Amino acid sequence: MPANESTPQRSRLSWDTWAVLAAFLAAVLIRVGVIKHIPW
Amino acid sequence: MSETFALPHVKDAQIKQANHSLQFLRVVPGVVLLAAIGYAGKLLEQNVGKYAKTHHWVFPNIEYVLWAILLGLAISNTVGVPAIFRAGVATYEFWLKVGIVLLGARFLLGDVLKLGGVSLGLVAIEIAGALAFMLFLGKVFHLKPKLTTLLAVGSAVCGVSAIIATQGAIDADEEDSSFAIAAILALGALALFTFPLIGHALHLSDHAYGLWAGLAVDNTAEASAAGALYSDAAGKLAVLAKTTRNAMIGFVVLAFAIYWAGQGQAKTVKNKAAFLWQKFPKFVLGFLLISILATYHFFTKDQVSALANLSRWAFLLTFAGVGLRTNFREMRKQGVRPFAVGAIGEVVIAAFTLALVIGAQKIWGW
Repeated sequence: MPANESTPQRSRLSWDTWAVLAAFLAAVLIRVGVIKHIPW
Repeated sequence: MSETFALPHVKDAQIKQANHSLQFLRVVPGVVLLAAIGYAGKLLEQNVGKYAKTHHWVFPNIEYVLWAILLGLAISNTVGVPAIFRAGVATYEFWLKVGIVLLGARFLLGDVLKLGGVSLGLVAIEIAGALAFMLFLGKVFHLKPKLTTLLAVGSAVCGVSAIIATQGAIDADEEDSSFAIAAILALGALALFTFPLIGHALHLSDHAYGLWAGLAVDNTAEASAAGALYSDAAGKLAVLAKTTRNAMIGFVVLAFAIYWAGQGQAKTVKNKAAFLWQKFPKFVLGFLLISILATYHFFTKDQVSALANLSRWAFLLTFAGVGLRTNFREMRKQGVRPFAVGAIGEVVIAAFTLALVIGAQKIWGW
């Protein structure tokens, strides 16, 4: 990911870690039934 | 009185908060563009074939992966990507990693260990061979030693991320890393079109082709796309092989960091374990964890199917991003020699890994 040159306070987490967290959040939402079906 | 003094602090905090929100909002137009191009690719796949059939035209069946890349390439190399979209387009690697983690749901742990074990053996041979050959080529072409190191790491391990990680670790020039990145990206773009053709010409199985794409194509986004262009199964295998390669990044970067520190041209690595953890791609762990959860039936069949589809959508945004960020004019500006070294290296590495995969195919009978 590109650097956010003008970000005043950098996040402590890398984009890599954010991607993992986002994927797990989606997995949890699917697991608990908030998201039931994703079409393709 | 106190309000008078507190007000500027409150304003500062509000401005900072607003800046954060604006940073987030900056990516929205580009992400929408990625989604629009990806979806257009999907619609074109569904409708162009039907239209050609209705009108009795002979037209190849072009998959959404290729449509998304071609649409992105067309925009990037004609009108260019307007500034408002750039921050969002740059998120394509984020979507790639989300897609890889979710793809873990489609792999049972046993398959990961079996295929990952085979991949790991092949990856170790590929990395050793590629590093040795690229370092040799750099000497023959009289490239600067640190540029050679960056090209070697980019070709052997994992493209752009490896180059950026190595640049920081060996104190290389920004210019060297942009040369190396341009060469790796240009060659990755070429691989998108040549690899599927070679695979079909050699009648490679999905398994063999997927492993080959994962071993030979350097950047993760291009390796995933090159695999998916062949078939869905090949795409899965390409991601697995490439993820195994990515897992090696820390060790290779650490080795070069120690070498250059020994030459007095880079900072000494004090805590090697912390260095390895810092460079380790965390999405590999996410992929493994989702695979473990799927193996032990944490998700129902329908939920696995939903996760797999979500992974496909994330990859769709990635493929659109691959096309949008590939600008051939910009790449040409970077000069011929690094590109020549990269090109020769890539052709040799592609041939070498193809021989490895065909050998492994004969041994394991895929």
